[in-house]
Amino acid sequence: MTETRPVAGRTAVALVVGWLVPGAGHAILGRVRRGALFFLLIMGSFGLGLAEEGRLALYSPREGFLTGLQLVANLGVGPADLFARMSVYGEAAYALPDQSDASHRPRVDKFRERQRSAVSAYGTAYLWSAGLMNLLLLMDVWDIANRRKD
Amino acid sequence: MPGHFANLVVYSGIIATFFSVLTRRDRREQLRFGGLVWLSMVGGVLLLAYLMLPFPR
Repeated sequence: MTETRPVAGRTAVALVVGWLVPGAGHAILGRVRRGALFFLLIMGSFGLGLAEEGRLALYSPREGFLTGLQLVANLGVGPADLFARMSVYGEAAYALPDQSDASHRPRVDKFRERQRSAVSAYGTAYLWSAGLMNLLLLMDVWDIANRRKD
Repeated sequence: MPGHFANLVVYSGIIATFFSVLTRRDRREQLRFGGLVWLSMVGGVLLLAYLMLPFPR
């Protein structure tokens, strides 16, 4: 029991920090160089995704399953996704607004405009990969913290 | 980034490096595995593009 609590606490902290800053979970578990490399890879992929006008997914009830998965892939990268949304949409937008709600029209227009860009498919692949890589890293952090992996 | 091929090379590089560091510990094994993943991705796409040559849009 006394052994379990510190490990559980350390695991939880590493997971939260690892989600907030990609690679930081590894760093606080003593894998600093590996964590730094993961940070560069994930944020590099995320930066390329934004530069190539990747889509920041918006949940739509009409295609709930697919847009939900896209949102999970985006959110995997942590708060960087929130900052990107604030910069692109001008607000922390996570869902397509109701058709009748004209006040959110600029968000829809911005979403469609990025979708039409010639490089948007590449950008979207970079963005989703960044989020999914960070989610995989969190599983790796879990294994390291619980001593299933070195 | 200019062009489809540059994106292919960079994207494959990111993915190959990530998985080689995530799944391998020995530096030599990381290089071998990363190189194999990168070559498979780039080579696979080039092969697919070649096979699609007779079917232009």
